[in-house]
Amino acid sequence: MTDKNNRIPFDEDNYTHNINRDNERKLDRRGFMKTLVGAAGVFAVSSLPWGAVAAKELLGLGNKEYPHQKIADLNAVAIGDAVEFHFPGEHDSALLIRLGDEKFVAYQNACTHLRCPVFWVKDKNEMICPCHHGKFDVETGAPTAGPPRRPLPEIEVEVKDGAIFAVRVKRYEA
Amino acid sequence: MKRNYISVALLCGILLLNIVFTQFMVHQYFYENYVNTLIFMSLNIILFPIAWLVYKRDRRKA
Ligand code: FES
Repeated sequence: MTDKNNRIPFDEDNYTHNINRDNERKLDRRGFMKTLVGAAGVFAVSSLPWGAVAAKELLGLGNKEYPHQKIADLNAVAIGDAVEFHFPGEHDSALLIRLGDEKFVAYQNACTHLRCPVFWVKDKNEMICPCHHGKFDVETGAPTAGPPRRPLPEIEVEVKDGAIFAVRVKRYEA
Repeated sequence: MKRNYISVALLCGILLLNIVFTQFMVHQYFYENYVNTLIFMSLNIILFPIAWLVYKRDRRKA
């Protein structure tokens, strides 16, 4: 044992004698490449759910009709006012704006940038996102300023028996 | 030991493409272009075996 290191050349039973620092070989060139391959694997696996939901929509399983939902009474909303509601699910917040006597628009108001709630500023005639000052056109839901690039999904509304109802969420292609 | 950084560069390029494809995939999903989402998903998945082949080729040469 004691003379092990005194023989010349001494027996090399491992390759660690030339390591000077802790974890020196943790992230060498090959380790780095392994990490990159692993990252590609993570990307591949995490793409799968997106493909799955897209395929589900393509097969028409996502085209559910939701029951019409009452938003507010007609008299309760003055021209230029906005009402918050939830449609189609209870976590999909939405905004109804009365623009004229007969004119209503409604959008899902999760900002298309990072999903902050967009609100209606009456005297500026704009929908504004508080997070990064994204702005949307009230008439169409199209983004007019700031980071958002995609229009807000529009909700079809219907006036019936003195009340306003949400009918369905419009598709972009339509 | 002679080092070859071509494979490292290739893998970095693959990682970049992964990021780009993922970005497109998510955006196309929200734009409701579901076919495009599927295309970018496939591209992302195909990149994994390619990355693995690059790595294997590098090992064989070493
Ligand atoms: S979340 Fe609306 S602008 Fe960023």
